[in-house]
Amino acid sequence: MNEATLFLIAFILYFVSALFYFFFRFGKKESLAKTGYGIAAVGLLIHTVALILRIIESGHAPFTNMYESLSFLAWSSVLAYIIIEGVYKIRKIGPYIMLIVIAVMALASSPLMPKEASPLVPALQSYWLWLHVSVTLIGEAFFAIALVTSLMYLAADSREKKGGTLKSGLTAEKLDSISYKCIAIGFPLFTLGGLIFGMIWAFKSWGTYWSWDPKEVWSLITWFVFALYLHTRLVMGWKGRRSAFIAIIGFLAALFTFFGVNYLLASLHSYV
Amino acid sequence: MKSLWKFFQSIKLAIFLIIIITAASILGTLIPQQRPLAEYVSHYGQLAQLFSKLQFTNLYHSWWYIALLFLLTVNITICSLSRLSPKLRKAFHPHLAFESKTLLALKVNNKFYKKTGMASTLEELKKELVSKHYRIQEEDKENKKYLYARKKILGWFGPDILHLGLLIILLGGIISGLIGFRTTLNLMEGQSLQVPNADFMLKLDKFQTDYYPDGAVKDWKSTLSILDNGQTLASKTIEVNHPLSHKGFIFYQSSYGWNWENPTLEILAKSRKDPSFSKKLDVKINEKVSLNHDGTEISVLTFIPDFIIGENNEITTRSLEPNNPAAFIEGWKGEEKIFSGWIFARYPDFAKIHASKETDFTLVLSDYKAAQYSGIQVAKDPGASIVWVGCGLLMFGLMLAFYWPTREVKVLLEESSGKTEITAGGIASKGKDAFQSEFEKIMASIRSSK
Repeated sequence: MNEATLFLIAFILYFVSALFYFFFRFGKKESLAKTGYGIAAVGLLIHTVALILRIIESGHAPFTNMYESLSFLAWSSVLAYIIIEGVYKIRKIGPYIMLIVIAVMALASSPLMPKEASPLVPALQSYWLWLHVSVTLIGEAFFAIALVTSLMYLAADSREKKGGTLKSGLTAEKLDSISYKCIAIGFPLFTLGGLIFGMIWAFKSWGTYWSWDPKEVWSLITWFVFALYLHTRLVMGWKGRRSAFIAIIGFLAALFTFFGVNYLLASLHSYV
Repeated sequence: MKSLWKFFQSIKLAIFLIIIITAASILGTLIPQQRPLAEYVSHYGQLAQLFSKLQFTNLYHSWWYIALLFLLTVNITICSLSRLSPKLRKAFHPHLAFESKTLLALKVNNKFYKKTGMASTLEELKKELVSKHYRIQEEDKENKKYLYARKKILGWFGPDILHLGLLIILLGGIISGLIGFRTTLNLMEGQSLQVPNADFMLKLDKFQTDYYPDGAVKDWKSTLSILDNGQTLASKTIEVNHPLSHKGFIFYQSSYGWNWENPTLEILAKSRKDPSFSKKLDVKINEKVSLNHDGTEISVLTFIPDFIIGENNEITTRSLEPNNPAAFIEGWKGEEKIFSGWIFARYPDFAKIHASKETDFTLVLSDYKAAQYSGIQVAKDPGASIVWVGCGLLMFGLMLAFYWPTREVKVLLEESSGKTEITAGGIASKGKDAFQSEFEKIMASIRSSK
């Protein structure tokens, strides 16, 4: 079996997992969600094997073009979700996370994304490529979960204000606290991988740790937005709607750092 | 002074500054930075002057952006200092005489009676708390016993440590900006150059380009030596991502190129009349080489690696890459110039030769060689190591702040009509559920013990 086949199998499993989660979402049978969780976990395992095959085939880290980066982002998101659901048992966010995962996988498999593993240009031949990109993307996967819980918070909150409860039975307060917990994991990872490892690598290969390159500035902007989230929450006691909005903006900034800078702004970082 | 302190102590100022700095940073990614003014004029028209005046064209080094960073620095410092002293007092000189009212006002609390005496209850409590890694302080006052237990106290200082880390990173940045420098030395194999601001020389022993099977560049490698009065102090083969360090100077593989001033060209000459005549000539610039036996000689006046005709019809090179190599040649017979013109390596049929007499020869630029040089970037940045220290503190502080939550348990013991009254309360900065269950376990074990 080659990498492409395994990638496809993982994709199908994520899709089936999402179906189970959606049946659960509308049918309320707990066992459906558990099946969805199990299938997602098997999908993650197969996806992991696909990534390892890719590493062996290409001889380098599995995130050197858009296809590889997206595939790794989907993998990180499933991993983050498996962890968060495993710890906090909030199955109701499953359908939406899996929906995002499917969208990322679909984007990765679109014909627009070059898939062939090309040899690395000299600047990327460094173990810092592994550390910098993997830690950053895993951090961003937790921001993605915070995005889902924040959006669900906004829905739950407006429904609770009208006196109803969210169909999913999750309280707004619980969603708010899960958002915070995801950011509490994502923020240190993003700081370490995105900013610190990035600076060290830049210093090792360009001779300067900070050059105000658009990608650098945008990761700093992302970091500022989440710093704002933490300060307003922990020092000023903001919660709920305002926190949710900041978390959503933070995710959008991370998304722009990942995609927008490559396609819209001229940057030293345009490898992918 | 006091009002200034109060101004900078405000978290709202921090929030405001972060928002403004973020907005300014976004602006700086939308407007291309540090380009020539003409480019802005053609792009933004009349706005260009305004942008330049407001320093939007070099935004991250503008006085106002740096001033905003400075204000944030002062804000972080004063915010942290003003929060630090109460925390230090709480950590080193805690106030132990709490009232039962305040304990019961805490979210996690408990109150119960025991028939055992106060001293033995206290011992049991202490044993239980120590087994859960709490550190204990106690006090006796007016027949009351105060017990104050806590653990992971460093967690309180997580935010201070991480903000100190940020300040150190900014300090490193200032030092880099003020005394760090970068420059590029272009070295040919065997050449040595004085390193600026240093008491040693850098020599390139060997330069090599590695290719992948498909022809893409895999790596550039330069073997460098550090020379002092002819003595080799250090030697290393550097490549992209693997620099050489010496005395605080770091040498990076940054670029490469060819010395097109002095190339060796190969010109293939053929005769129209005599198809069997074919001759390869190695020619250097301004060097006459004889073409055949009748005394015809050719020479090359100029070589251009990437031939292009510029805007004012001048001949120039577009880059230093050999994308369109061209040579200007002249043909001589004795003292008489018989032809001259451009020949192109990529377009052999496109030769533009002006001949004063009919010539029999066709000339093709069949090869071109030039010594390659290696572009070595030299950097000395004493700020960098300070930045790494700051990064370490930042991460350490972040981990403490998020994952090392301080837990406090306060217990008040009182004797009342032969029984011991126990009032307890607890505080955890994070992980409140886990703390509550720990607290309840401690209380349950005290209550149930005989």
